[in-house]
Amino acid sequence: MSPWVERHRPKYFSEVKGQDEAIYKIRRFLEEFNSEKSKKAIVLHGSPGIGKTTIAHVIAKETDSELFELNASDFRDKKRLEEILKPAIEQKSLLNKNKIILVDEVDGISSTDRGGLPELLSLIETSTFPILITANDIWDSKLSPLRKKSELIQLKEIDYKTIKDVLIWILRKEKHFIDNEVLTKIAIQAKGDLRAAINDLQTISEMQDSSKVTFDERNKEVDIFNAMKLIFKGRATESTLKLFDSVNMSIDEIILWIEENIPMEYSGKELARAYELLSKTDLFKGRIYKQQYWRFLVYENIFLSYGISSVKKNAKTGFTTYKRPTRILKIWMNNQRTAKKKSIAIKYAEYCHIAQKRAMKEFPIIKQIINSNPSISKELKLDNEELEYLRG
Amino acid sequence: MISSIWTEKYRPSKFYELVGQDEIVKRVESLTNSMNIPHLLFAGPAGTGKSSLALIVVKELYGQNWHENYLELNASDERGINIVREKVKNFARTKSLGKVPFKIIFLDEADALTPEAQQALRRTMENYSSTCRFVLSCNYSSKIIDPIQSRCAIFRFKLLEKKDIEKYLMDIVKRENLTISPESMEIIYEGSEGDCRRATNLLQATASISPNITPELVSTIISNAKPKDIKVVLDYALAGDFQKAREKLLDVMLKESISGQDVIKSIQKEIWNLPVEPELKVKLTEKTGETEFRIVEGSDPFIQLQALLASFVLAGLGKE
Repeated sequence: MSPWVERHRPKYFSEVKGQDEAIYKIRRFLEEFNSEKSKKAIVLHGSPGIGKTTIAHVIAKETDSELFELNASDFRDKKRLEEILKPAIEQKSLLNKNKIILVDEVDGISSTDRGGLPELLSLIETSTFPILITANDIWDSKLSPLRKKSELIQLKEIDYKTIKDVLIWILRKEKHFIDNEVLTKIAIQAKGDLRAAINDLQTISEMQDSSKVTFDERNKEVDIFNAMKLIFKGRATESTLKLFDSVNMSIDEIILWIEENIPMEYSGKELARAYELLSKTDLFKGRIYKQQYWRFLVYENIFLSYGISSVKKNAKTGFTTYKRPTRILKIWMNNQRTAKKKSIAIKYAEYCHIAQKRAMKEFPIIKQIINSNPSISKELKLDNEELEYLRG
Repeated sequence: MISSIWTEKYRPSKFYELVGQDEIVKRVESLTNSMNIPHLLFAGPAGTGKSSLALIVVKELYGQNWHENYLELNASDERGINIVREKVKNFARTKSLGKVPFKIIFLDEADALTPEAQQALRRTMENYSSTCRFVLSCNYSSKIIDPIQSRCAIFRFKLLEKKDIEKYLMDIVKRENLTISPESMEIIYEGSEGDCRRATNLLQATASISPNITPELVSTIISNAKPKDIKVVLDYALAGDFQKAREKLLDVMLKESISGQDVIKSIQKEIWNLPVEPELKVKLTEKTGETEFRIVEGSDPFIQLQALLASFVLAGLGKE
């Protein structure tokens, strides 16, 4: 069974979601190729899993071109580029088709690929075929000459709604069913990375009861659970101080983890003391923002690691299931709900000549009135989503 | 089309229908009949007839075509200078249709406009006075800058008396075939705080459950409409249940969309109602004050509030 990411990789423009603007720009680039002012190469850049390589393949297919691909798994030093890429660039297509050269993951050209980049640059000069280059981080200083020689097209991270649509599309084709809420969760956790979302989807679809599923955020939480254990169970030692250096997570996120899990381990005096330290941590965070005095970060880190760990008298034993921070998700879900409430209030306010703010304040009564008579929702021109909100 | 929302269905549409503001109605009516009204400033509490009177004026002046000649804006939703520069000026720029030589802009809750926006408005009122009249409404005329006040005829709306609201509601009761006792009427009036619009809404919300308006029903509707208070959060904390207190706190903050600073304000007030020793009240207030300071200085109010709850838990256990 092939991975879903491969099986459902888009083949046509119409199947590529969330990148309309980039696709438009690439097509225009190809149409204008070989005109006077046009550049020879185009760099598609953006974070992982948003469709850079896929788009390159789709373009080749849709324009009926032969695709010559060179990626990070190939050696790309000067010698190889000369041997492999140069002929490809100079020869016409065997099948007498158009040809597109794809240099995938250009930021992966490593320092061991001696002379690779300069060679690529000079090949761009002489190429008679359009060259597509993909990169995660085009702002790396070593790529600066490449930036000047090529047109840059940034691919956007894919918003969670689009990700969710794609997931639903795939599920339909796979004849699988997964709970709507779980889909939303996958889509949000993916943070714009569609490939990651599809991988998660496949993993979850293979489980028995997908509604109870929890899954790991990509390569981040492997050690955060361990870090929680070291902080809350163990004694504070010198290594506790450096603990968060090895956790691949921003300090702001770690604050949320600590916040969520303090009451799982501490109570009474320990609880109060731990929150006091967390409060101080947040205080310094606020001061850093306001005064841009970054040395305060030292205190944030000490309170959060050694400090929180040191409030207990004795090391703790036993097993604790630490929880993922839920507050941000709750706030987000609440905002979704408030958004609908607000759009109803806006319609009501305009219709009844009052301020939106007042309509929001008196919403319980307004809701009662609207619900009492179906013709009112018609008068206010409420849409289905708004009606659903009122019923719920 | 007759609206099914009673505040609209029974909104007075003739001068004589407006209750409780006889003096004002008389003066505004004669101005309207002369077809030459100055800029008007309606000041007074909510639900006393300001918007209704403006709408009556407009309908009297323009008849069927009132929509084309009337712009209604609510300043409390858009308070900045852009509302004046864009919407007001665009509308004021063009001439009116029909026999009345000017159009009318109704700027509701004008006291919410920033002083800067009011300055911009002042010039606009002058520059477009040939094509446009302004009707401003506000709760407090003191928040309207003097130059604007001096350009308007000012009308101060009275808070409606019980008999006014009763008269208005009884008319609805009759036409909607409801029954209501004097006691229920009293509760609606108390709950409305003299706001006729709110009183009407309370009546309709209650009637949506039963046409027989009982005191119990009215009270239920009113208490459902009140924001959930913070006291229950403190109760949990002082009883030692930190998890519950924290969960409830987030719940209240999100559902009622209140800020950390609002929460700390009500905690500070609530402390004085707690059944604890005076000495402890002072201690809790000290903690609360420190927390308010940290909310202002820090970055995440919810973390600060949790820390406060944790110290309340400790206080509740008598350990501090």
